[in-house]
Amino acid sequence: MRDTVELLEAIGRDASLRRASPEELARALEADGASPALLEMAVHGDSAALTAELGLKHMHVEHQSQTGGHEEVDPDEPGDDGDDEGDEEPNERHDDTNDPSAA
Amino acid sequence: MTTPTPLSIGPRRGSIACVGMGITLGSHLTPLARNCIETADVVFAALSDYVVELWLRRLHPDVRSLQPYYRPGKSRMKTYREWVEVMIAEVRAGRRVCAVFYGHPGIFAWSPHKVIELARAEGYPAYMEPGVSAEDCLYADLGIDPGRVGCQHLEASQLLFFERALDTTGHVILWQLGVVGDRSLGRFRTPDAYRELLVERLCADYPADHEVIVYRAPTLPIEGPHIQRMPLRDFAAAEFTGQETLVLPPAHALKPNVAMRARLDALDAVYGTGAEPTVTA
Repeated sequence: MRDTVELLEAIGRDASLRRASPEELARALEADGASPALLEMAVHGDSAALTAELGLKHMHVEHQSQTGGHEEVDPDEPGDDGDDEGDEEPNERHDDTNDPSAA
Repeated sequence: MTTPTPLSIGPRRGSIACVGMGITLGSHLTPLARNCIETADVVFAALSDYVVELWLRRLHPDVRSLQPYYRPGKSRMKTYREWVEVMIAEVRAGRRVCAVFYGHPGIFAWSPHKVIELARAEGYPAYMEPGVSAEDCLYADLGIDPGRVGCQHLEASQLLFFERALDTTGHVILWQLGVVGDRSLGRFRTPDAYRELLVERLCADYPADHEVIVYRAPTLPIEGPHIQRMPLRDFAAAEFTGQETLVLPPAHALKPNVAMRARLDALDAVYGTGAEPTVTA
């Protein structure tokens, strides 16, 4: 029997389940012996039980600093956007074509 | 599970591949990115959902989360530099490193670009494999084609830190709203008042009742996309987890470029218009 993490991954790669209604998803999950917590989230969108079951942690999602933000109050290192190129104070900058991570 | 054996390509040396996990568990990981993970000596992970990290740990026995390097009040730039240091240290030690980032590893992510640049400068093989990004999901879920009238993507804080010109005839899409206006780089969330200031700035270009979309892509496959539509003036009061993106649809029609159209007429007179000739009876 697959556990919760395996079931979630399997749903993600199953075209018939990825866009299934909550009712269809519930039937498939019950047939696969899914945990009550996973069923609760699939049917009602409530993640509290799943959080408890898997010990879920908050994840930080910012992987880039704000261009023009101050790293710290340090006169020798003003407005570092991390690329070590052309760093200036925010109010002196008008463009950031050097930023390699702009989308 | 069978772990593929990498092809022998000569003497062993350190290398790094920065790959994208995609956004939704099970749906987006490319075969190539998966192979990079499975054949690596060590895997570093910066993901957006802990369930995805749990799944990744089943793909490889040595997955090292980069999350513990974050700390409230600590500049995130310091955190990102530490990520680069721990990754390049393994490369220098002769190990095959795979760094997995949620979405696309090269979009709104500083350390993948930096570690690749550094590794290459030191003579190590280093490359990036793209992944399905939040931007890709947004186009699919909201039915936006960026080729129709264009899309302007900006990190939201730039509208407050700099004088940026917005093209209101195309879509404007603002990212990293959770930390908008934070100049310290030490906060993970700025108060709602900072988003209210962003609304004030946007109202310089858009009417306050302009309908905007607050969007969040699903990280688990049992969720749908999170889509909230509201007048711009109400954006600061939207349900907000910190992972949302703000989409401003066009406010004005494209304005014809009369001068360039006249120039095109002149060129067409010389080279033809490209249209099929009219058939006369």
